[in-house]
Amino acid sequence: MPLTMVKEGEPNTIKRVGGKEETRRFLENLGFVPGGVVTVVNQIGGNMIVNVKDSRVAIGKDMANKIMV
Amino acid sequence: MSVKIALAGNPNCGKTTLFNALTGSNQFVGNWPGVTVEKKEGKLKGHKDVTIMDLPGIYSLSPYTLEEVVARNYLINERPDAIINIIDGTNIERNLYLSTQIMELGIPVIMAVNMMDLVEKNGDKVYIDKLSQKLGCEVVEISALKGTGIQKAAEKAVGLAQSGRKAEIVHAFNPKVEDVIANVAAKLGSDVAEEQKRFFAIKLLEKDDKIKEQMKSVPDVSVEIKQLEDEFDDDTESIITNERYVYISNIIGGCVAKNDKRTMSVSDKIDRVVTNRWLALPIFAVVMFIVYYVSITTVGGFLTDWTNDVLFGEIIPPAIQSGLDAIGCAAWLEGLILDGIVAGVGAVLGFVPQMLVLFIFLAFLESCGYMARVAFIMDRIFRKFGLSGKSFIPMLIGSGCGVPGIMASRTIENDRDRKMTIMTTTFVPCGAKLPIIAMIAGAFFGNSGWVATSAYFVGIAAIICSGIILKKTKIFAGDPAPFVMELPAYHWPTVGNVLRSMWERGWSFIKKAGTIILLSTIILWFLMSFGWEGGSFGMVEELNESILAKIGTAIAWIFAPLGWTQAGEGWKMAVAAVTGLIAKENVVATFGMLYGFAEVAEDGSEIWGNLAAAMTPIAAYGFLVFNLLCAPCFAAMGAIKREMNNTRWFFIAIGYQCLLAYVVALCIFQIGTLFTTGAFGVGTVVAFIMIVAFIYLLFRPYKESETLDVNLKKAV
Repeated sequence: MPLTMVKEGEPNTIKRVGGKEETRRFLENLGFVPGGVVTVVNQIGGNMIVNVKDSRVAIGKDMANKIMV
Repeated sequence: MSVKIALAGNPNCGKTTLFNALTGSNQFVGNWPGVTVEKKEGKLKGHKDVTIMDLPGIYSLSPYTLEEVVARNYLINERPDAIINIIDGTNIERNLYLSTQIMELGIPVIMAVNMMDLVEKNGDKVYIDKLSQKLGCEVVEISALKGTGIQKAAEKAVGLAQSGRKAEIVHAFNPKVEDVIANVAAKLGSDVAEEQKRFFAIKLLEKDDKIKEQMKSVPDVSVEIKQLEDEFDDDTESIITNERYVYISNIIGGCVAKNDKRTMSVSDKIDRVVTNRWLALPIFAVVMFIVYYVSITTVGGFLTDWTNDVLFGEIIPPAIQSGLDAIGCAAWLEGLILDGIVAGVGAVLGFVPQMLVLFIFLAFLESCGYMARVAFIMDRIFRKFGLSGKSFIPMLIGSGCGVPGIMASRTIENDRDRKMTIMTTTFVPCGAKLPIIAMIAGAFFGNSGWVATSAYFVGIAAIICSGIILKKTKIFAGDPAPFVMELPAYHWPTVGNVLRSMWERGWSFIKKAGTIILLSTIILWFLMSFGWEGGSFGMVEELNESILAKIGTAIAWIFAPLGWTQAGEGWKMAVAAVTGLIAKENVVATFGMLYGFAEVAEDGSEIWGNLAAAMTPIAAYGFLVFNLLCAPCFAAMGAIKREMNNTRWFFIAIGYQCLLAYVVALCIFQIGTLFTTGAFGVGTVVAFIMIVAFIYLLFRPYKESETLDVNLKKAV
């Protein structure tokens, strides 16, 4: 399911990262790789703050929708 | 032997803090990613022959952002003698991803694990000998903020650079991937140095076009790419990214011991509150209100009043006057110094205290980490009119001064979003526009508070409408880039750092007063004092005979439809608006000089009467709006030119701003006049046509994007 559906505070394993090539690369460089663990810290209207590889990353709704966990 | 050492690492891992500590220089350190966008150079303290280079923070050596391109071009082409790879100790896994790439460059590397004080506080442990063994370079523990271990790191780097010992690549990927890399490396010609072959081989496999451009001969590797992609059922770039992370996750267990008992971090707890769904916007509004209330009305206002009324009112001008009288200075020179230079430059310097207070607040918000959250909070709103949340920070800074505001737009990776932000940032009333607002409010509207408030709304409306209209034009079509931004951990800013930022921004403003404004006041004074009177050229008694009046009269017709010329004094408005292009602070000062006051207060209260006689209130409000929206001052235009880095785009930006300003001022005057006096003419018709066109541009459907995947590779 997309990351936007995940409950706050629950660790999840990334299955796939979709989206345009450029953005996907950027996400991969930031640590969003399949197999990595991601935890949602907070979300406002779909935009969310997540914890990935010990760093806090804010991502927009459209992007979060493309991260499958 | 002179040695060059580069500092490389993730954004926000403490490179600039280390740079300052090593070189004793004073660069501002912000707590949001992307503060250093250009590389900065300094000399290592106590070693004159050692140059330290601070590179922008990067997540990888791929070519996706401006910073990455700047950093990697430097590393590949200039080839520093050694690299200090700074690693954030609290976030080792992600940081090592870049390290594996840096190791492949074939340059001696030393790894500095930063923020060790925080790591210890968290109860974590980093085994540096293991780390060193697994990555093939020396590792030192440092705390750049506290200054521990940095000397050791620097000395080791210098030693390494002098010995020229290249980094050994220890990390290895899946054997199948390694085979393919070896095959490609074998194809590379002798123009690629042996130790760099792995780097170039991987980049070729990743189909990195920018690297291809830099190579003399590019071997064909499509067979190898296909082989890998078939084998792993993915594209090569993802395969390699994945291999790097696999290697890191394999070694990380042995290198770092995490304290399992740690619960939610303090930053996460703060984020729960300040980015909360309901509280985020109210908290932000309160923070902003406090910032502006304190810096504009209370502390800042008090300081500015003092500077204007006492320092540049009662202290400096009389002192200079008596000094000049004492040495028997010629009357014209005394006029130049007092009426021109002191009045003009003084009016600008009067703002400095207010701006310094504002800059302190902004620096505090930036370096504690809140500003990055603001971008996140605002993104949802900004996205609605085609801008990204990151555009908000330039605009916020632009409310102090447009120049640093425009420069702050560099952190926006998407080229279109950045250009759009640069074009619209200066619509926010900056510090220098405040006196114009005060003057118009005082002269025409009985000092009513709504004038200033409406000025901010006009600015915001201009940004929103421009966002929507520009987004629907061909050159800007396409969705804004998805929002992705790393949020740094909150921390208390150091006093030195906040003051440094305040001073840096304040100083660039003061410098402007000392250079451009000084020069323009002298020229203005000359144009105003000289002219043809009684058939010969010389100093004029009557202002109407001056060169300035001639120029103003020549261009005043342009502004006739805006209602500036009603009382036959339109040339004064035209001249004031033009001098406003040099520096907005000039507008009030120009009116002061044109109406024959040697020195006017900040809000020009002495000339209110003259002004009120020259224009109707509606025309005056149009005049105000024109000055708010039209092209900013020389300094800001210079910044636009630098940031656009393209003459065509510079003229598009300036042209758009001036056109918008003219059209809006025209509509305000024509339609306002229609409502108040019922006067209907050609101008009114034009105004209505403009409004219809405007509404059409605002509501027409979005253009199908032809440039949806605008590529940063091309844009850079």
